Amino acid sequence: MNTGLHNTNRSRGVNNTVRVQPMSRRSVLSIGGSGFLGLSLHHWLQAAAPTQMPRPKARSVIFLYQFGGPSHLETFDMKPNAPSGIRGQFQPIASAAPGVSVCELLPETAKVMDKVTLLRSVHHNMKSHNPAAYYALTGHAPPLDDIRLRDSLELFPAYGSVVDRLAPASGGVPTFVSYPHVMRDGAITPGQHASFLGKRYDPLLVTQDPNAADFRLPELTLPANLHPDRLQNRRALQQLVERQTRLLDFSAKAQGLSAYYERALTMLNSQKIRAAFQLTDEPERIRREYGRTTYGQSCLLARRLVQAGVKFVNVYFSKSIGGQSTEQGGWDTHGFNNTRMFPIMKAYHLPRTDQTLPVFLNDLERTGLLDETLVVWMGEFGRTPKINDNISRDHWPNCYTVLLAGGGIHRGYVHGASDKNGAYPDHDPVRPDDLAATMFHQLGIPHDIEVRDQLNRPLPIAAGRPIRAILS
Amino acid sequence: MLRTTLILCSACCAGMRDTPILAEPSPSFRNDVMAVLSKAGCNSGVCHGNQRGKGGFRLSLRGQDPADDFRVLTRGAGARRINRIHPERSLILLKPLMDVPHEGGRRFQRGSAEHRIFSQWLAAGMPADSPQLPRLNALQVQPRDHIIRHPQRTLQLQVRATFSDGSTRDVTHLAVYEPAADIFEIGHDGLVTATDQGETTVAVRFLERQAPVRIAFVPHRREFTWNPPRTVNYIDQHIFSRLRELRINPSAICDDTTFVRRAYLDLLGLLPSAAESRSFVLSQQTEKRRKLIDELLQRPEFSEAWALKWADLLRVEEKTLDRKGVQAFHAWIRHSIDHDLPLNIFAQTLVASRGSTYQEPESNFYRALRDPLTRAESTAQLFLGIRLQCAKCHNHPFDRWTQDDYYSWANLFSRVQYKILENRRRDRNDKHEFAGEQIVYIARTGEVINPQTGTAPRPRFLGTRNELTPDADRLLALSRWLGQSVNQQFARAQANRIWFQLLGRGLVDPVDDFRVTNPPSHPDLLSALAGDFSESGFRPRHLIRRIMNSSTYQLSSTPNATNARDECHFARTAIRRLSAEQLLDSLSQILDSPLQFNGYPPGFRAGQIPGVRAVRLRDQPSSAADKFLNLFGKPLRLQTCACERSAETTLAQTFQLVSGPLLNSMLAAEDNRLRTWAQMAPQHAKSVIDDLFWTALSRAPTPEERQRTHDYLQRATHRRQALEDIAWALLNSHEVILRR
Repeated sequence: MNTGLHNTNRSRGVNNTVRVQPMSRRSVLSIGGSGFLGLSLHHWLQAAAPTQMPRPKARSVIFLYQFGGPSHLETFDMKPNAPSGIRGQFQPIASAAPGVSVCELLPETAKVMDKVTLLRSVHHNMKSHNPAAYYALTGHAPPLDDIRLRDSLELFPAYGSVVDRLAPASGGVPTFVSYPHVMRDGAITPGQHASFLGKRYDPLLVTQDPNAADFRLPELTLPANLHPDRLQNRRALQQLVERQTRLLDFSAKAQGLSAYYERALTMLNSQKIRAAFQLTDEPERIRREYGRTTYGQSCLLARRLVQAGVKFVNVYFSKSIGGQSTEQGGWDTHGFNNTRMFPIMKAYHLPRTDQTLPVFLNDLERTGLLDETLVVWMGEFGRTPKINDNISRDHWPNCYTVLLAGGGIHRGYVHGASDKNGAYPDHDPVRPDDLAATMFHQLGIPHDIEVRDQLNRPLPIAAGRPIRAILS
Repeated sequence: MLRTTLILCSACCAGMRDTPILAEPSPSFRNDVMAVLSKAGCNSGVCHGNQRGKGGFRLSLRGQDPADDFRVLTRGAGARRINRIHPERSLILLKPLMDVPHEGGRRFQRGSAEHRIFSQWLAAGMPADSPQLPRLNALQVQPRDHIIRHPQRTLQLQVRATFSDGSTRDVTHLAVYEPAADIFEIGHDGLVTATDQGETTVAVRFLERQAPVRIAFVPHRREFTWNPPRTVNYIDQHIFSRLRELRINPSAICDDTTFVRRAYLDLLGLLPSAAESRSFVLSQQTEKRRKLIDELLQRPEFSEAWALKWADLLRVEEKTLDRKGVQAFHAWIRHSIDHDLPLNIFAQTLVASRGSTYQEPESNFYRALRDPLTRAESTAQLFLGIRLQCAKCHNHPFDRWTQDDYYSWANLFSRVQYKILENRRRDRNDKHEFAGEQIVYIARTGEVINPQTGTAPRPRFLGTRNELTPDADRLLALSRWLGQSVNQQFARAQANRIWFQLLGRGLVDPVDDFRVTNPPSHPDLLSALAGDFSESGFRPRHLIRRIMNSSTYQLSSTPNATNARDECHFARTAIRRLSAEQLLDSLSQILDSPLQFNGYPPGFRAGQIPGVRAVRLRDQPSSAADKFLNLFGKPLRLQTCACERSAETTLAQTFQLVSGPLLNSMLAAEDNRLRTWAQMAPQHAKSVIDDLFWTALSRAPTPEERQRTHDYLQRATHRRQALEDIAWALLNSHEVILRR
C-alpha cells in the first residue's frame, strides 16, 4: 500500500484540541474503526455537516472495462500528422462533436461524440497489465509494477465495493454487480472485489454469458427439487428452533443472520431483481441492436440493472488480455506470434465497440437514464506511439484516452490533450486517482472520506481530486 | 475507589516541582514549537504531515523529523511563509489563526499558549536550538488507568514531561489526546468527558513520546451485588477482579450441551457425535469437563485443527509452495503439534530453516516469503505480534518503531536465496507460480538498503540495541534470540494467540498488534499467561488446558443485566460464526454425507486440507465444496495475518445455504443419514426426531419442537422430503452456525 496516501490514526485528537471552529470537514471524514463501524454514509452524513457534501449528480456508474489496453491512437486520439512509424493505418473522421475526430472504423460512435467527454491526457507509470488494471479498477497506485502483484486483502477494493460500503443501494437490490468474467492475466487481476472492506461488500458476481439462451442468475434460481412452498416450511421450522435459544434476544450476530435469511427469501420471491436479469423481456430488436455478443448483451444488462436501482456495474469486455484473435479476448495487440494489430482491431475490437457503445449510449438517453448514469469506458493503459517490429503497438501508460458519458459530465467535450505523437500529456494531465475522485464526487460521496484497511490504517477512498473542468 | 484515585493523583502532582514554562528567553524549536505543530494538528497525516504535504507545504509526519521541519520552516519553500520584518504577519501564523483563508480551518486562538510560543519564536528570529537543549526523557500521564462511574462523567488528565537535565514540565495543555474509540470527548486541556459506556485507550502524545491511558465509563449500579461463578485458577482471579471493579457480573457457567460443542469445535474443529453428546451431557461424573478436555487434547484431530491455524499464518498454499511442498510443510506442522513440540522450538526451527523445500519441509517458511521486507514484516507479526508495516515509510506513528528499526530488522533477512532446481509452472506469465523443488540457502552477501539513508543498517533485533557481528549467520542468531526465555515478547504474543483462539478476542486485540498505543485489556493476566506458558516449556496443550478449565472460558454467552453491553472484559462468551471448515465439516458430519474437494478422495474433511487449492483453477473448476469454503472465508493464505480469515456473515453465504447446490445435494443424497430414518415405521417418528436433534444440536428437542416436528412429519405426503426439511431447519439454526 502506498503509505504516502494515508492519514493519521485519528483526527479526532486534533479536532478536539481546537474547539474554536466547527469540525473541519476533513477531520471528520473518517469511516471505519470501532466508532463508526457499520455506519453507512447516509447515517454518517447526518452527523457531519451536510452542506459540505457533494450533491449527487449520478445515481449509478457503469464501468465498461477494456482489458488489455486499447490503443488510444486507433480509437479516440488519432494522430494523422505524426511521422510514419507513429501514424497508424486508419484515418480519422469527423464526429458529432465539432473539432473532435475519431477513428474511421468507429462511424456510429462518431455520431454520439456529442454526448461524451474524452480525457485525452490520462497517465500513470504502471507497465504490466495486472498492476495497471488494478490502478484502473480502484484508482489506487499499486505498491509495485510487477506481474507478481498478488490479489491479496492488502490491496484496495473495487470502486463498487467502496460505494456499497458508503452509500449502498436501497430496496433490496444489490449495490454492485460485476460480470461476465473474472479477469486474469496469469494470476487473477486485483481490484475486482471488496478486499479489506470485507466479503459483505463483494460484488454480486455473475459469470454466466448474458448472450446465452439459458442466461439466469444462479442465486435466484431454486434447485429443481425444491418447491417454493418447501422453502417457506423450512423457514418456519428454522424459526421454531431459533426460538428455543434466546440468541435472537441479545445477539447481534444471530439477529444479523436471521435478517439475511429474511432478505434471501424476499429476494427469491421478488420479481424486481430477477426481472432485471430476464434479458428475454427485451424486445428482440433491441437485443439485436446491442449486438448478439457477450459484450453487447452485457451492456444491455447493465442498462436493465441500473433501471432496477443497482449503483455500480462493472462490465468486463474480456476475460483475458487477448490481442491475438479476431474472435475473443482483450485489447493487448502487440503483434505477438506473427499476428498484426491493425487487421485484428479492424476485424474485431473496433466493429464490436462500434456496434455496441453508441447503441448503448443512445438507449440510455432514450430511457432517460443518461443524465443520472455515469458511463466510464477505459482500459489499463494506451499503446506505444512508436509502431513496433510486428507493425503493432506495445503498452503505454504515459498517455491514453478515457471516455466518459452522462452522470453530470459535459457533453461533446475534450479535457486535456496529448502531445503531437500521443506520447505524453500536453496539458491538463489526469491520473486514475483523479478519475476515481470524480466518480465518487458525482455519486455524492466525498472523495477524501477515509476507510480503514486490515491494519486499521485510515486511507482516503481516492487519492486524487475531482476533475472540475468536466463537470456540467 | 474513584475518590482514592483522585486523591492519589493530586498528591503526586503536588509532589512534583514545576519548572516554569518558557524559562528560557525564547521558546526552543524542538521542545516548544514542535509541540505546537503537533497540538494544532499541522503535522498530521491529513494535513501537512502527508507524504505530499498540503498546499505545497510539507512537515514531517507527526513531527518525527524536527531537523527537517526546522529547515522547511526557516529556509525551504516554507520560508516564504515567514515575514522577517513583521513576524506577526507571517503566513505561518495568519493561516492557523484563520486571519487569512486556511483549508484546515482555525488551528489555535489568538492569545493561546500555541500562539504565544509560535510568535515568540518568530519574533526572536527563529533561533536554531543549542546542541545542549535538553531532550525529552519521559512522559508521565496521571491517571494511567481509571474508571469513571456515572453520574460522574469527567476526568482531568495530567501530563508531565521530564527532560534530560532533570527538569519537568506540566504539558497537559500541549499534549495531543487520541481516544481509540469514540466513547470519550477530550478537551484541549485534557478534560475527558464520557459520552458512552465502555472502555478504551487514549493515546497521549507529546513531542516524540506516547503513553496510553485506559479509561472506562460505567453506570453506577448502586444495587450491585457481586455474584461470580467459582474461581478455578489465576485466569478467573484476574478476569473477575477487573469485572468486580467495573461492577459487572460474569454470566453463569454454560450448560453441558454448550460446553461439549465448544470443546469439540475448539479442540478438534468438529462437532461431537450424537453418542458422544449424549454420553457427556447425561453423565453424572464429577470433573467430567476436565476429563473431556484431557481426552480431546490427545485425539489426532486436535493436531489437524491446530495445524490449520498455523497453516493459515505460514502461507501454506500451492501456488508458491507447490502441491508437494504444501503437503510436506503441512505434515511437518501437524507432526510438531502432535508431538507437543515446544512453541519456541517450533518458531526457532522455522526462522533458522534452510535446505530443500521437499527434504526440509520447514524451509517452506522462506519459500513462501519471497523478499526480505515480507520476511521481516511476517516474522515480527507472527512471532512477536508486532505490525511493523507502518515503519517502512515513516517512523511508526502509533508505536516506538523507527524506520531505522525497520530496516535493521529487515536486514536480518536479506541473505535468504533460492536455488530453483526446476519450475514446471504451466503459465509462463504467472510469476507467482512455482512447481518443483527449491533449495533455500543463505548467501554470503546481500543487504537491505534503508532508502532514507541510502545505506545498509547493521542487522539488529527488534527492541534491542546490540548489533550483530558482521560475520554472524544472521538468521541463526535471530533464531537463538527469538526462543530465549529473556524474550518476553515472544511468550506474550504466543500466549495471546492461544487465548484469542479459544476466547475469540485477544487480550491484545487485534491479536498481532502489540503496540504502545494498544495496551492489553488485562496486562497482569497477559503476563501471568506468558509466564505460565514459558514455565511449561512453551507447551501449547498446557496453556490450552489451563484456559479451558477456567470459569472464564466456560461462561455462558447469555448476558445478564450488568454485562450485556460489555465487549472487552470477557464477562460472557462472545458468539461467533463457525469457520468455513468447521461449518462445512459439521454439515457433512450431521448428514453423514461425504464431501468432495478437488484433488482429494471423497470423505476428506475440510479441516484436513493442507493447502488452499490442490488443483489449479484452469485445470479444473472449483468443486462446490471448494467454493463453499471460499465463500465462508477460508483465506487464500497470501498474508501472515489472522485477519485474512473472514468470520463475517454475508447474504451470499445465506443464498448458498438456502438455494445453493451443495447443501441441497447433501440433503437429497440417497444414502445419507436421513435414509435409515426415512425407512423407519411411523411409530418410531419420535425417536427419529430425538436422534436428529442429538446429532445436529447435541440436545433433545424441547416439547414444543418435538410436537411440531412430529406433526410435520406425520402430515407430510412425502416423508423423506419432510425429514430433509426438518434437517435443513436444524442445519440452518443459530445453534449450528454459531459457536455460543
